[in-house]
Amino acid sequence: MINIQDMRDTARGLLTKKEVRAVIGYRRSTNGMLAEPVVITDPAQADELIWDPTCFHNLSLYLVEDRKFLTHVRKTADAPIAIVAKGCDARSIVVLMQEHYFERKDVYIIGMSCEGSGVLDERKLAAKGIRATDAAFDGDDFVFATAQGEQRIAAREVMADRCLECREPFPKEHNAVLGENKTGRELNAPFTALHRFEELDAGARWKFWEHQFERCIRCFACRSVCPMCYCEECVVDSISFPVTGQTSAEEKANRVRWIERSATRPENMTYHMTRVLHLAGRCIDCNECERVCPVNIPLRLLNNKMEREAREEFGYEPGASIGGPSLTASFLDTDPGKFIR
Amino acid sequence: MTKKRTGVFVCHCGNNIAATVDVTKVKDAMANEEGVVFSQDYVYMCSDPGQNSVIDAIKDNNLDNVVISCCSPNLHEKTFRDNAKMAGLNSFTCEIANIREQCAWVHKDKDEATAKAIKISRSAVRRAGRDQALEPIAVPVTRKALVIGGGIAGIQAALDIANAGVEVILVEKLATIGGHMLQLSETFPTLDCSQCILSPKMVEVSRHPKIKLMTYSEVQEVSGSVGNFKVKILKKPTYVDPELCKICDDCASVCPVVVPNEHDLGLTARRAIHIPFAQAIPASYTLDESACLGLNPVRCGKCKDACDVGAINYDMQPQTITEEVGAIVVATGFDLYAQEHMNEMGGGKVEDVLDGLQFERLCSASGATKGHVLRPSDRTVPKEVVFIQCVGSRDPAQHCAYCSKICCMYTAKHARLYKHHVPDGRAYVFYIDIRSGGKGYEEFVQRAMEDDGTIYLRGRVSKLYRKNGKVRVLGTDTLTGQNVEIDADMVVLALAMEPSKGTGEIAKTLKIGRDKDGFLAESHPKLKPVESVTAGIFLAGCAQAPKDIPETVAQAGAAASKVIGLLSQPTLSHAPTVARVRNSHCSGCEMCVTACPYNAIHLEHGKAVVNEVLCEGCGSCSATCLRAAIEVKNATALQIHEMIEACLA
Repeated sequence: MINIQDMRDTARGLLTKKEVRAVIGYRRSTNGMLAEPVVITDPAQADELIWDPTCFHNLSLYLVEDRKFLTHVRKTADAPIAIVAKGCDARSIVVLMQEHYFERKDVYIIGMSCEGSGVLDERKLAAKGIRATDAAFDGDDFVFATAQGEQRIAAREVMADRCLECREPFPKEHNAVLGENKTGRELNAPFTALHRFEELDAGARWKFWEHQFERCIRCFACRSVCPMCYCEECVVDSISFPVTGQTSAEEKANRVRWIERSATRPENMTYHMTRVLHLAGRCIDCNECERVCPVNIPLRLLNNKMEREAREEFGYEPGASIGGPSLTASFLDTDPGKFIR
Repeated sequence: MTKKRTGVFVCHCGNNIAATVDVTKVKDAMANEEGVVFSQDYVYMCSDPGQNSVIDAIKDNNLDNVVISCCSPNLHEKTFRDNAKMAGLNSFTCEIANIREQCAWVHKDKDEATAKAIKISRSAVRRAGRDQALEPIAVPVTRKALVIGGGIAGIQAALDIANAGVEVILVEKLATIGGHMLQLSETFPTLDCSQCILSPKMVEVSRHPKIKLMTYSEVQEVSGSVGNFKVKILKKPTYVDPELCKICDDCASVCPVVVPNEHDLGLTARRAIHIPFAQAIPASYTLDESACLGLNPVRCGKCKDACDVGAINYDMQPQTITEEVGAIVVATGFDLYAQEHMNEMGGGKVEDVLDGLQFERLCSASGATKGHVLRPSDRTVPKEVVFIQCVGSRDPAQHCAYCSKICCMYTAKHARLYKHHVPDGRAYVFYIDIRSGGKGYEEFVQRAMEDDGTIYLRGRVSKLYRKNGKVRVLGTDTLTGQNVEIDADMVVLALAMEPSKGTGEIAKTLKIGRDKDGFLAESHPKLKPVESVTAGIFLAGCAQAPKDIPETVAQAGAAASKVIGLLSQPTLSHAPTVARVRNSHCSGCEMCVTACPYNAIHLEHGKAVVNEVLCEGCGSCSATCLRAAIEVKNATALQIHEMIEACLA
């Protein structure tokens, strides 16, 4: 069981000694029980930090934002930035370092073990008809403050699917870590949700996705929230084509428009397929894309599919090690090459 | 920008294309394409009149680029790009639409094949419309060659190259050059002594001023490309200074360790410190580290004490030597298929069942029995010997599918040698077919049957086992339909040849392909038999396929002449269709660096940089890059986009 005060002390210590220039963490939002991301630079702010079942955001996104900002203002960082990271978040930081987006010395990881539980799935809580104003971890339970008083619910009843299926709730890559290492805990078998979906036949699955992509409004929230979608120019998006001094007139005139701007089904499908392929071997299943989707498209199914292929065909786990090879850039002589036969 | 004027030329390839694709329809469809101002078909576009028509059409119609719808670019891309150049165009504005291998040859339905041929041609037209004029990259050439493998193939290749005045590095894994040929007693079809014809060549190698001989060495790493390879060679320590060694044998006589002698295929023993055989080149002893009692710390040290001249140095370290060469010949040879795989032949566990090379060592004057044919179990003269052909060869179900080519001949030779050693003995040969194509070969087999009275039985052996001090061989004579049982004193198996151990690793190191049986793949089975699929790397000897000595020597000479031809050019021209980085898009993630099979990309100030000389334009980087920040010239994202569009339209 994590004592929140320990996390606050760690953050305060780092800021006081100026070992880091900021701490990215969570604080209580003004909107009810939910946590929201916060960047603190003053040791006095450390007491604002919280740790509860609503800390679902993958904060590594803000490391990317920080790096983008520094590049934009042409500055280099004078000290690392600290970040509160769950097991999954730490893996996404590893992927970013694997891709040299920043270096290990640029980040101070305050690892938070999810121990035996994980984060809340708001939809599951709403389905139970519970309206809470506060949430807290308590062993295997979540404790909610409601108008009717305190309500205790077994965590696994309202936990996010990804947490139920998580194999590594402990942040392996860290500078400091809080909580016990309960790696290997099995709540649900990996890819349970995917397996359930794949019980449908191909025709039914196609229909399902046709329906889902019909609904996509191309708001790009999934892309904006994804720490792996850090490209300056997204290949699906010709609007943000960056024009620099070296861009030739020919290039400007001939930029490729792989996807049209209109949010029609085939275009939406191409967008999501491209995204899922670009995330293969990089997505660490933080599921922020699905969480932020305003029309509730189950994007996790797509990302999970790629993750399972990579694991089963190539024994590849994204975010396993900083120096490890990336999935799509490396070739094994033992490649089964099944798709070709 | 004015519209480009494109010409399309559709080839019938005799009936190769025309039988399945309506060529006239393709031509007409292309004439209607946007930008196409000229479209023509012809029965053989690559013939002289065909080529001239391309040149004339370019000039007459003022074409900017051309598309030839014909066979694979592997065959005639160069031909037609040369035509384009002759007509005054940049040769890289000529594109090939492959409507033969990728269309006519793989389809049956003419309507569908025609529709596909139109799509392929149309996509090539769209690609050509955006082709940039490119100039070939001139690359300087390192006038030095590397030969890997010191058997007869490597020796011959090294000598031929060196005699043309080009420096050669000859790398051999073992302590001496000579290879398997050195283990043979006599050679077919003339029965001349193998060692007698090979030793002079070995000496010539060791004395040749242009040859740097590196024995007990292995190629570890190869980078670069044709004309400029960088090679890392590991020289293993022999612990004996060859300059000082007097080959007096004092060291070996005090060495307490006895291990099987590989040179005699285990029929004799050697010490840990040994010389493979008396005429070894270089003439020096080698201390086999794996057999020695211990060097660090020194456990025994007797050999060092025994050496009067102080040639033995226990502190010798492995050395890595870096060399730059312009071309490489791979001659890594063969190994026999292991007896252990052949359960019906006793699986290597039945005494007095030998393989062909062991029998050679029995016949050889320098061999285990000093040239007397004695069977290993009791050292008596075998009176009945059974020779079995095709052991492991021509058996796709269980062993090797291919014919090992030389076994028919060497079995006949073995039978004859045996009869010459033991005139009152009886020799049986089990065969499936006798394949004796070659100058003087058929006559040689006939003499084995007629002059030497070898009994040839057409059939396979089903089983053999030890009984009453003999080897009982059960087989069938399919010509008489009778089962045959022979109590043989000795059995000799003509085991299949397979690529030598380590061929897989060297192929990987050199990035050259292998065929389904593991032999090194030639670039074209008929027209490029000594070229590997990688430019500047050539093949010689049994590493490429089973072959006999004359063929090996001929192939080694051919590989040498290719090397000499290549290295006689002052510069090489490298295709300019290489990768290009769009700096504004590059995030420096290094994925292209990992993906590049040619080590042609590195990072500078956080951005990818392509070494154009090393880049082969394979496109791996472009496929890996998530940001479309790297693409191959004349195969840009825009071109590929348009090609896809043309196919889907």
